[in-house]
Amino acid sequence: MDLVVFFLAALAAIATAVAVVAQKNPFVSALALLGNLVALAVLMLLLEAQFVAVAQIIVYAGAVMVMFLFVIAYVGPRGEVGPGERKPWQIWLAILAAALIAIEVVAVVYGATFSDWAEISGDYGSPAAIGKSLVTNYLLAFEIVSVVLFMGAVAGVIFGSGGRPLRLSNDEVLAKEAASAEQRRREDSRAVLDAARDSMGGDR
Amino acid sequence: MVDGVILTIVKSVILASVLMGFFALMTLIERKLIGRFQARYGPNRVGPYGLMQPIADLGKMLQKENVVPEGAHRKLYLAAPFIAMVCAISAFGLIPFGNVATIPGTDWTIHLYIANTSVSLLVVAAIGSLGFYGLMIGGWASSSKYALLGGMRSIAQLISYEVAFTLAVIGVIMQASSLSFITIANAQDHLWYFIPQILGFLVFFVAAVAESNRPPFDLTEADGEVVAGYHTEYGGMRYAMFAAAEFINAITLSALGAVLFFGGPSGPILPGPIWMLLKIGGFLFVLIWIRATLPRVRFDQLMKLGWKVLLPVATLNLLLTAAVVVYG
Repeated sequence: MDLVVFFLAALAAIATAVAVVAQKNPFVSALALLGNLVALAVLMLLLEAQFVAVAQIIVYAGAVMVMFLFVIAYVGPRGEVGPGERKPWQIWLAILAAALIAIEVVAVVYGATFSDWAEISGDYGSPAAIGKSLVTNYLLAFEIVSVVLFMGAVAGVIFGSGGRPLRLSNDEVLAKEAASAEQRRREDSRAVLDAARDSMGGDR
Repeated sequence: MVDGVILTIVKSVILASVLMGFFALMTLIERKLIGRFQARYGPNRVGPYGLMQPIADLGKMLQKENVVPEGAHRKLYLAAPFIAMVCAISAFGLIPFGNVATIPGTDWTIHLYIANTSVSLLVVAAIGSLGFYGLMIGGWASSSKYALLGGMRSIAQLISYEVAFTLAVIGVIMQASSLSFITIANAQDHLWYFIPQILGFLVFFVAAVAESNRPPFDLTEADGEVVAGYHTEYGGMRYAMFAAAEFINAITLSALGAVLFFGGPSGPILPGPIWMLLKIGGFLFVLIWIRATLPRVRFDQLMKLGWKVLLPVATLNLLLTAAVVVYG
């Protein structure tokens, strides 16, 4: 039973990974990446890592991929990339990178000695155990990550505001718009008056 | 002892069927109640008291033609309602309806839940977040600007309120020091959590209404702005599946509320499943009541409420709970 699930999930992981690269439509490609993440979560479940599997889905599927799809759906045109738009050096670079990764994988697999299934103790990988290790052994890393995330949030707000002053409230923005509209209206009426005076002057 | 896998499959089928039946009944009850709130009768023509109305609706939906709009991404367009539906139903599978029951006349004992993991609550959240993709794919694949904007808008809403929702639930998790529904429900034997977690419950409830896309937070379907949102281009059974997924999500959120804040299946005299149904029904009644009472909020009001009111209150609740758990 475990083996069947393993091979199904592994096949799905490989197929979706290929689809991420092979699909021409960026939206579909991102969906394939999502499928890949879910397949990996299933593999983690098989390894009794329930918390990690669920966290993977919540974080990557629930948040990260949603952002990807958001951007693709809003910004990306629905057009597809044709083969003519590829540059030759990209292909050679890709082949080189793939070869390097292949060599690395082979080296690691040959160098490794595989043990039998490891036995895990009762609460290994449980939410409580992971939480405890985060706030004891890995406290520094945990805190640094929180600072990085905070900086990301601040940067997001600044970029999102598009350089406008952040302190303007909704009412102030409305007041400003009203003032500039008033200004424009005055200029318009002055122009109309000038034009009228000109035309009257012409009559004289 | 019945084989575990087969028993689980049987239980899943029963639960899914009961859930669909319950959903069909609730659509009727909702229309009846809304009618009453607005001083009219509601559906009362099909069968006694209009009881056959859901079946008539189903018959009508099934006969509709399946239209795929021009320029749509056909496969994704057709698949999106299924994604929404599958996620909605499977999230409900983790809700417990009691502990152990003995089948009358035999000595078989069965657990009144399909699965109890140490991370049940997170699993429901994870499946729920996968359900978002149904809306998103539906909105994108329709190749319609209203569907796309509606889909994006609902995703923005769901993500925003998920934050406050999760923070509100963490209070309960801390107090019960568990993520398992069974443990959380059992921990409320003496006192339902909605009393010590009243702040958390209020945030949870508002966020749950928003999460289920129900009025007054149904901006997805603000017809004057985005027609019908992500399901603008859908008709017939596929539209019905989106609607069903949305309502089943509301049922799941009600069940979550019952388990997390109202003791789940525990209660005097009556058996656990009945209590669960009563508590879920209570939640749904309030949801329908709200729908009949409150007008829809504006989008900026929605975002302001989520980020500037609910999130701080949920964080405050978290700090208070932490203090109580450590020093109390």
